[in-house]
Amino acid sequence: MAETNSVLELLEGGIRAESLRQKAIASNIANLQTPGYRRIDVKFQELLAKALDRSGAVDLEEIKPQIHRPKQTPVKSNGNDVNLEAEVGEMVKNALLHKVYIRLLNRKYSQIELAISGK
Amino acid sequence: MDVNDVFGTIDIAVSGMRAQGKNMEVISSNVANVRSTDAGKGEPYRRLEAVLKAETDGISSVTVADIAKDMGNFNSIYDPGNPQADENGYVAMPNVNLPIEIMNLNIATRTYQANVAILKRYQQMVETTLELLR
Repeated sequence: MAETNSVLELLEGGIRAESLRQKAIASNIANLQTPGYRRIDVKFQELLAKALDRSGAVDLEEIKPQIHRPKQTPVKSNGNDVNLEAEVGEMVKNALLHKVYIRLLNRKYSQIELAISGK
Repeated sequence: MDVNDVFGTIDIAVSGMRAQGKNMEVISSNVANVRSTDAGKGEPYRRLEAVLKAETDGISSVTVADIAKDMGNFNSIYDPGNPQADENGYVAMPNVNLPIEIMNLNIATRTYQANVAILKRYQQMVETTLELLR
């Protein structure tokens, strides 16, 4: 039976994915020159979107952020496919997402506090 | 009214940075090889040029479509003492013109910086929007 997800659950899922992506980006940048290294990406939004399509609600235990290595990226002569500008772009996007999640979470907690304390 | 893709601007700016980065790599190859009389096939180094193209019609990112060879004639300098001189004393040199390469380098640098500026400003703009959530 489909349950509706609380806002907190969805936000927490998003934060977990974004933290994992942060680690992936750090790994990519650290391995900028490593021969044979392929960049890592984290799939979450697509999985979530696909799952939401079907039932309108989602079991967040099943939709975990997944690490995957894209196969189509252009490769340098040493087998490495990391591009600094692309990683910087991903970092900027991820940092913005982080801010969104944290602030929405804050808002939600304040709302709950208000409901509990009445002030 | 269309819904904007929030990260579209960032992806487009990054594509600009990558394209100009590649452009600079090509320019640096030209400059480094300005006196290379042999590029492996008995001919001097032939100048390269990065061909940029827009990915789609309308709002689009940029990509390096091709790294084309400049098919202009090689320069030739009179240097009879050179072991590679032909029977008339001329040596074939790469068709690279340093002032042109430096001019292209300036353009590539400015374009790269402009793309970075867009990335930064857009990031600041989104963060300002997020301030509304404080």
